[in-house]
Amino acid sequence: MTRFLNSKEAYGIIAQLLHGCVAVLIFTQIVLGLYAANLPVSMARLQWLSHHKSLGLTILALVIMRLLWRQIDAPPPLPHTMAKWEHHAANAMHRALYLIPVLAMLAGWLYASAAGLTVNWFGQMLIPDLIAKNTELAPLLKALHHVLVGLLVLLLIAHIGAAVRHALMLHDRVVQRMFPWWR
Amino acid sequence: MVEVMRWAGLFILAACTHVGAVEECYTAETSGGQVTFRVLQAGAPYSGNFRHFTGEVCFAQGKLTRIDATLDPASVDTGLPELDAALKDEEFFAVREFPRVTFVSSAVHSQGTAHTTRGTLEIKGHRREVEVVLHSQQSGGKLAISGALKLDRLQYGIGTGDWSNTKWLSAEVILDINTPLTRKK
Repeated sequence: MTRFLNSKEAYGIIAQLLHGCVAVLIFTQIVLGLYAANLPVSMARLQWLSHHKSLGLTILALVIMRLLWRQIDAPPPLPHTMAKWEHHAANAMHRALYLIPVLAMLAGWLYASAAGLTVNWFGQMLIPDLIAKNTELAPLLKALHHVLVGLLVLLLIAHIGAAVRHALMLHDRVVQRMFPWWR
Repeated sequence: MVEVMRWAGLFILAACTHVGAVEECYTAETSGGQVTFRVLQAGAPYSGNFRHFTGEVCFAQGKLTRIDATLDPASVDTGLPELDAALKDEEFFAVREFPRVTFVSSAVHSQGTAHTTRGTLEIKGHRREVEVVLHSQQSGGKLAISGALKLDRLQYGIGTGDWSNTKWLSAEVILDINTPLTRKK
């Protein structure tokens, strides 16, 4: 039976939906950012980068919701079949998977603010700048944004790699905690 | 005799009128002055500066009589080098072909320190009549003028092709002018 809340064996629908949404949006966001950043200064670049910034703020809000949800509804524990170091590695990885995207998005928001390119969220709401326009700081924040996104890509590769290992090599039903319908 | 008196009268009248209309002309200074543009990009405010401009502003008895200003669009400075390069290019100011933006006043109506100035603005070969209210004020013992000129960039061919999409880049541009004036010798 599908549950809304987390159980000892699996995440509930709410946690699964939040995970799925953030996963799809982060992949979209990385592709969108890489595509837009490599366009020459043009209307297309202005449009795609505006969507990128709006989407980034949306993901930031969703990640904060996930963090809050974790406090309300504790995640299912990892199986005892996993070694102690694996527990530590998994916990550290999950922390980083929350922290790094948040930092990457904040660096992007700071960069947009420093460049004077204020965000209007999907043309619906003007978002306050985090700092005043500072064109000397802007290139440094841009570089920081890129480094953090690069780090995030590495983390995602490790995260997906670990999931594949658990599902196809260890068969320990760790992955089924997030995808309980997968037999 | 009557003829001589008439000529003398005309001479005195001309002299008095001339004294009354003596102009004091000033130079607008780039250093300490500022010309800023404001626009909306993707629905959010965006601004940048023009670093070089010159101008002559004349007053007679506290009333602004004429203004003749030139701005160098190649001095545009947004702080983003890529964007500055695009603004100098064909689709925006085409600075190679049109290195100057000019404004020459044709009529001024002064009321106190507010001077409603009409004149011809020429950008990128497009000449249009515009009106701007300029304010004169003393700041730090120096005369200064300021004002905001609202214009439609599309009327001057600023942002052609894809850039003419006003949903993403507003048609309205506001030029904020604020410059101290130095008395001409």
